Amino acid sequence: MDHVTQVTDMVFGLDPQWYAGSLFVLAYLMIMSERINRAIVSMTAAGLMILGGVLTQEAALEGIDFNTIGLLTGMMIIVAITRQSGIFQYLAIWSAKRVKASPWGILVMLSLVTAVLSALLDNVTTVLLIAPVTLLITDSLKVKPYPYLFAEIFAANIGGTATLIGDPPNIMIGSAVGLSFNDFLFNLGPIVALLLPAMLIPVYLIWGRNLRASSDARQRVMDYNEADAITDKHLLWQSVLVLALVIAGFILAHDIDQEPATIAMFGAALLLLISSLPRSPGEQSQHLEHVFSRVEWITIFFFMGLFVIVYGVEKTGLLELMANRVLEMTGGDPALTTISIIWTSAIASALIDNIPFVATMIPMIQNMTGLPGGPEGLMPLWWALALGSCLGGNGSLVGASANLIVAGFAERAGHPLYFLRFMLIAFPLMLGSIAISTVYIYLRYL
Amino acid sequence: MTSAHNTDPHPTASTIMDPEPSVLHPTDKISTGVDCIMKHRYRRLPVIDDDGQFVGVFGVTCLLRLVMPKAVVMDKGLESAPYVRDSLSDFHRRLKEVEDEPISLCMHDEMVRLSPDTPLLETLLTLYKTRASLPVVDPQTGKLLGVVSYFDVGEHILAAEV
Repeated sequence: MDHVTQVTDMVFGLDPQWYAGSLFVLAYLMIMSERINRAIVSMTAAGLMILGGVLTQEAALEGIDFNTIGLLTGMMIIVAITRQSGIFQYLAIWSAKRVKASPWGILVMLSLVTAVLSALLDNVTTVLLIAPVTLLITDSLKVKPYPYLFAEIFAANIGGTATLIGDPPNIMIGSAVGLSFNDFLFNLGPIVALLLPAMLIPVYLIWGRNLRASSDARQRVMDYNEADAITDKHLLWQSVLVLALVIAGFILAHDIDQEPATIAMFGAALLLLISSLPRSPGEQSQHLEHVFSRVEWITIFFFMGLFVIVYGVEKTGLLELMANRVLEMTGGDPALTTISIIWTSAIASALIDNIPFVATMIPMIQNMTGLPGGPEGLMPLWWALALGSCLGGNGSLVGASANLIVAGFAERAGHPLYFLRFMLIAFPLMLGSIAISTVYIYLRYL
Repeated sequence: MTSAHNTDPHPTASTIMDPEPSVLHPTDKISTGVDCIMKHRYRRLPVIDDDGQFVGVFGVTCLLRLVMPKAVVMDKGLESAPYVRDSLSDFHRRLKEVEDEPISLCMHDEMVRLSPDTPLLETLLTLYKTRASLPVVDPQTGKLLGVVSYFDVGEHILAAEV
């Protein structure tokens, strides 16, 4: 990738670094303030990056990582169709009944289901599917849903860390660096498997040991007939088949020489095709409209704008300057740089949206060419960024989109997750997970 | 109903509304609202404060929301839950849990309303789209002036000269 490019067509003869840098900071502040929708902010700033002369339209399009966009969109389409089969509700109820509707057992099982689904889908989709079932089960059990929702937020963010597709930061890192599904699974899977039970220990000590439900209440959950959750068996098998093929495609991506976006988009097309075949042309259009309405276009356009903004800043050489400054501060020491990245990413991701943060960090790390070992020498930094930005999201309610989704459900159900109350427990737990991850990275890579 | 209504060349919502509808107050208990709705088979009733200001409606959809698990009635909640085997007692239990709460807890506060000078066609069109009785509210004071129901409209139309 080329770095500092001559930007000669700036309007009013403005300094490109100042213009792009100011636009970038302003967009960040606007996104953080949440006064204007983040997609609108990123698209406007992207437009100003072009109109201001930092980028041409062609260069802006080059800056958009269509591998990330395609992967996100493809998976959203697959999930939008799959959820219609009822499989996710089936899984949640099935798991609750496997532990005889014991309140603590259900918390563990739902956390596990959330973590696994989050690794295979994405965090937001996972909690959108699991949180309402959780509220239904806790209503039947007559127990407070808070510990369950708290654990599910952590499980979603921890589980999502394990794979390329589990969390948007991983998708972005994987796409930018060329890391495969297997790379993420082999490098981050072990620490995720350790962090999940580690998270459940404090949850048990704080809430779990006091969770009680009457035998009548437990019987109500045991009376759920999970088989009835499957509303369309044909669609279920079609969805499971395509999802399995897509996951297999991700695992074999390197061998079949295909990018994740191609695999996800082809999987989406295949599922659309086979789920549309029995329908008339009119019904197919309705089906397609319904599925496309489930795609989170706000997220997709937010990403596209963001890629253009960060590309513009990168083109001015500002990120290279910042990368050099970081290396100066750490003395170019790989261990110190890696540890700085994981902790900075974690704390930043707890407080601000981790997506723009990671979008900025990726070119910065790519510019850290002063570290020994070439591209291979940068690998611990990528894992540090992935762990820090994904796990950091657990630190506060605004740390990840999934947290806000769960908070919204909790509020509508009359059990609000208050920001400070959540953070008082979540932030220390998040720091604990980062401390464990730091030891893992140090022992494995440094 | 009078013949004057039928000959009014420009009838409006106020022409056909019931000016003395049954009402509830936000501080009334949910059990009071339930009794009123069940006794008279109302679909919904306007809720007004002590100054006569219209503040919302309470009706059968509110009751259904109260007796079902929140997970299925909340925004973006479960679209269906065919696997749940709740009994009549479970539904009654949920209602009992909130029966002493004020109806402001679950009334709908954002609701289509008519102004007294809304033209008749617009009134009927709104009634057709919302499929429920509509409050007629003074746009200046916010006070409830009456209610337009399907039956008010029907009676006036059938009584009109052809």
